[in-house]
Amino acid sequence: MGPANFSRRNFLKAAGAVSAMAAVGGFPAELLAYERRMARFPEKTDLILLTSRPPQLETPLSYFKEMITPNEALFVRWHIANVPTSVDVNEWGLKVGGNIEKELALSMDDLKKFEKVTFTAVIQCSGNGRSLFVPPVAGGEWGDGAMGNVTWTGARLRDILNSAGLKAGTVDVSFNGLDKPPLPTVPDLVKSLPVDKAMEEDLIVAYEMNGKPLTMLNGFPARLIVPGWYATYWVKSLSDITVLSKPFEGFWVKTAYRIPETDCGCVPPGTTPKKTVPINRMTTRSLIIDPSASSELTLNKPVTIMGVAFSGGRGIQDVLVSVDGGKRWEETRLGEDKGKYSWRQFFYEWRPTKPGRYALMARATDTIGESQPFEGLWNPAGYLWNKVEKTEVVVK
Amino acid sequence: MKKLIILSLMLAVAGLAYAAEKDAVHSIEIPVVKTDLAAGEGKDTTEKYCSICHSLDYITMQPKFPKATWTIEVNKMIKVMGAPIPEPDAKVIIDYLSAQYGTGG
Repeated sequence: MGPANFSRRNFLKAAGAVSAMAAVGGFPAELLAYERRMARFPEKTDLILLTSRPPQLETPLSYFKEMITPNEALFVRWHIANVPTSVDVNEWGLKVGGNIEKELALSMDDLKKFEKVTFTAVIQCSGNGRSLFVPPVAGGEWGDGAMGNVTWTGARLRDILNSAGLKAGTVDVSFNGLDKPPLPTVPDLVKSLPVDKAMEEDLIVAYEMNGKPLTMLNGFPARLIVPGWYATYWVKSLSDITVLSKPFEGFWVKTAYRIPETDCGCVPPGTTPKKTVPINRMTTRSLIIDPSASSELTLNKPVTIMGVAFSGGRGIQDVLVSVDGGKRWEETRLGEDKGKYSWRQFFYEWRPTKPGRYALMARATDTIGESQPFEGLWNPAGYLWNKVEKTEVVVK
Repeated sequence: MKKLIILSLMLAVAGLAYAAEKDAVHSIEIPVVKTDLAAGEGKDTTEKYCSICHSLDYITMQPKFPKATWTIEVNKMIKVMGAPIPEPDAKVIIDYLSAQYGTGG
């Protein structure tokens, strides 16, 4: 079906090799502000290269035809240059300190002694879709591929914190990983959560993704999973948990990763919000994966429009599809339900009976009625993107 | 013969221990990817300072921005992200980015 497999040819097999591509991941080339390159990093397949130091790699959309995103295809996003490249699991330990009864230094074996929890959850970068913002905003210029659906296995954060024993007066819990800044003046990536969030049942410290150890670039040997919330909180290569009796003041929560304190998390395009809050729950979104943009379809031949939809941990109620640019909307069939944090596939059988150009659209609604806007909601950092997008195809 | 068996056992144990030790260490080597910036006045200064903390594709992946935005971005790198760029060099970098990666505005 048209360009669905277009990129295969261009994939380079050599480690670290990079090639230029006109269009990738279903985006027509003219929509891209810059030419995209492909690169193969260790334990990963050929992914769209945003940056190499630190690595930021985006998943080509064709991988989202699968319910579960393969480990080698999952996007990569690091913030500061000195990312961990070698970890001795026998030496690695997860330290728990601060406002607690008993300090912990958990080995991997210790971590695995906690009750083992497994669930499927969408992991999505806060800036997924940033390159689609109008007017454009600075940052990692992601298309729609800074996301994936992965089955995570690990120990409950709550069980770990309970074994350390939270003392009265705890407000926040902070999380640090093995990555280090390139200069002492560069703020280390440390994130925090309010203690109530940290103690929710579904947060885990994961040591497996899709039944295998984490890849190094996705946070080996263990990372925090905050299902339903953006991945900025899912600290990779986790090394330190600190329980705080005062609000966390670190740069990556107090200054960065903030959204306007408005109902939509948005402000009029080009303006500065008066007040901001830390980014948190993901917005509801959907994306048509197949047919991909610019596909050529055959007149009168049935085609299955397929895509994925997810929300901020509330599951998906329904997904509607339009083949005429949004005039009429049709119900879709939803695929397997792998829980409220997983994405849901949707399918719509369509037989185009007139030649011409078509704009395919999908709009998801979660179980409390939160849906997607028809106009892109704007904020200065380029977060929360969930506009109903148009996939242009041609019927001949 | 006995000695040989013991020696073999010792080697086997040592081998297992080595394997376990080796398996415990997980290492990767991140490829170096070269990005060429556009030729122009200030290119060397831009490369010198920006590449202290990040690869130059951080620049080339951005949309074209007006000078006001590049000024904000460079100042953010200095004041917020801790980049050690002296004032005169910061100006050179802003001018370069605005000329080569700007909207002309």
